[in-house]
Amino acid sequence: MRLLTGPFEIERASRAPSMARPLAAVAATAALGAGAGLAAETGLGAAGGIGHALASASLHAGFLAAGWVVALDGREGWRGPALRGAAALVLAALAARVSLAGALAYLLVPLVLARDAGAWRRSLERIGWRRPHAPRAILLGAAAGTFLGLHLIVAASLTLGYAVSVPDGSRYLAALAYDVGANALTAEWLFRGAIFSALWRRWSFWPAAVVSTACALVRYLLDPALPQAIEAMAGATFYLSLLGLACCALRAWSGSLLPGYFATVAFFAAYRTLLV
Amino acid sequence: MIAGPLGVVALIAAAIAAGAGDDGSPLRHLYLLPALWAALARGAHGGALVGLLAGFLQAPLIFPLIERAGLSRPVVDGLVSLTIPLAMGLTVGRLVDQSRGRGVQLRALLEIQRSLAGETTFGARLAQVAALTRRALGVDRVGLLLDAGDGAPLTASAPDASEPADSPSSGSATPCRRLVLPLDAGQGPVGMLAIERNGDLGAATRGAAQALALHVALAVENARLTERQRRFAQELEDKVARATQRLREIDQAKSEFLSMVSHELRTPLTALQGFSELLLARDVPPDRARRYLHHVQTESQRLGRIVADLLDLSRIESGRGLSLRREPFDLRELVECNVEVFACQHALHRFDLSVAASLPPLSADRDAVDRMLKNLLSNAVKYSPRGGRVLVQARPAADRPGLVELAVEDDGVGIPAEALPRIFEPYVRIAHPETAAAPGLGLGLSLVRALAHAHGGLVEVESLPGKGSRFRVLLPA
Repeated sequence: MRLLTGPFEIERASRAPSMARPLAAVAATAALGAGAGLAAETGLGAAGGIGHALASASLHAGFLAAGWVVALDGREGWRGPALRGAAALVLAALAARVSLAGALAYLLVPLVLARDAGAWRRSLERIGWRRPHAPRAILLGAAAGTFLGLHLIVAASLTLGYAVSVPDGSRYLAALAYDVGANALTAEWLFRGAIFSALWRRWSFWPAAVVSTACALVRYLLDPALPQAIEAMAGATFYLSLLGLACCALRAWSGSLLPGYFATVAFFAAYRTLLV
Repeated sequence: MIAGPLGVVALIAAAIAAGAGDDGSPLRHLYLLPALWAALARGAHGGALVGLLAGFLQAPLIFPLIERAGLSRPVVDGLVSLTIPLAMGLTVGRLVDQSRGRGVQLRALLEIQRSLAGETTFGARLAQVAALTRRALGVDRVGLLLDAGDGAPLTASAPDASEPADSPSSGSATPCRRLVLPLDAGQGPVGMLAIERNGDLGAATRGAAQALALHVALAVENARLTERQRRFAQELEDKVARATQRLREIDQAKSEFLSMVSHELRTPLTALQGFSELLLARDVPPDRARRYLHHVQTESQRLGRIVADLLDLSRIESGRGLSLRREPFDLRELVECNVEVFACQHALHRFDLSVAASLPPLSADRDAVDRMLKNLLSNAVKYSPRGGRVLVQARPAADRPGLVELAVEDDGVGIPAEALPRIFEPYVRIAHPETAAAPGLGLGLSLVRALAHAHGGLVEVESLPGKGSRFRVLLPA
């Protein structure tokens, strides 16, 4: 037992490098990229889609890079994976703008992330980059996400009159690829992996879960892709809060990000069927 | 066990849907029942899950109402009925969990007290306590450290110390909470209780750990007291056994003494009776009559000595002490006289005498010194073979200035080392096959010691079995 056998190292905390500078650098770079993208979107007219893609990729790359900084406790080594992830995201976003099939490039992002994470396996276990304790946790995560998504569909249909419709299969699949490679991936990586894990090491489960879920909620509520109607915002708050808390619970129970990732993907897969 | 409440929830939902999905259906209140069922069966997790599910099933009926009518009375009513199964399931479930946890802790506490009062080694009992504490608190690891009082502290952990301190499968992805509590029953800490859990260490667990630490400290104190009491009882039992054995020996010695006294008194009495009857009944010639009278005198003197010894012993045992009449006398003359008498009486023994020229006059009770010398000479003759040598020495003690040494040495059977501490006690006779028939009451040496002490002197003995003995009386000059 470590308490009885391990040495008591009181200065260990003071040896950890500060994360403030790397996080500030990541935030500034992401903001710069997003700003440039938005400027391009407004200034380039018909070619503004490229600017939008750049802005979206910058934000997701920022999430990925911030996750790396927190996961590595601010130590050196985060820049390479962050840059490769950002490159993959920019490439995928641009490809998706070029054609719907190009959205499949988003599937490269998890592969790039997995390749980089392989070199930091021991460090990334702290944020849940590992297999779950029980494989059924993945099924449970997918079931939870599906249940929430179906509930969203039923409630939105009955309450707001939204219809379930997938008129264009390729557009749906492109959106799904975006969720798999960018939306759900960066959300789990940053909010559950980095923020929740870091907070949970200091606090108990509920404060950590509430704060990390609130951060994720802010991210989605500020997303221009979300319908700006008050009912849609209220619904998003309700479901994304439940989804965030469920993902935190899955992360805590299974020790892995995978169940939450599958829950998020399943939820958004249902959400994308709503014709707003 | 959760399938039952979930099935009931599904039935209620189906019934509400069959009733045209009326948002105001009174059937919605029935969701409370499966939530309570799950809470009672599976605690907070079960109650919350079923309550949450019931809320989810009601939500699609309430949300449109909010959209249509805002926060009207039916909406508030619907929201209340939506949240009540969750709230009740969670609350009742937590109470059930707390109650069960308390029950587990109480049972563990009883087992802890039982195991600490067990008969195994204290280390094994401590390991058992660690395992029980781990089960009672529902934590991953428990360590106990106790101040053993002498040397290294006693430690025990559950699971045992062979497991790695931090298993990579669980320690890194999930934060490990640690808590160390003193084991203090109010008389200062006797050790510490350390617990570790992967995940949260809630207030309930911390409170339970504190209560358990107090009870473990009390149980440890009780176990130590019991251990001490057991040790004292064992020591007492040993002492009583030794005292009983000693009493048995004394009792046996007294019985032997009575038997021996009877024998010792009967022998001279028989002689006295026999010779007096002869003198009275027959016409005995004068020379023979003179010899008979000499025997009568000898036996009466012997009888007198026995009675005198018994009276002295009685005075010593009653604590009255011996009355001495100190006066200067010539020790050389006393020693020579006794040696001469004994040499005449025991012609088969060889008596050697060594009296120092520088022997000072002794200021003591002459009769007492005479009795001491006679007793020692009598013993030397009794416990040495015929033809044996008896050496008598009188001289100033070389190693004790101011004391005169009177020593009697023989080459007899000797005394075993283990018997030496007892030979000066009254009634004690050391059994030896060669000297079993020798007469005596076991009083001689105890009287020698008592007389020597009464003079402010002492008696010493050196002996080797089979080689002989040397008794040394040291008296103030």
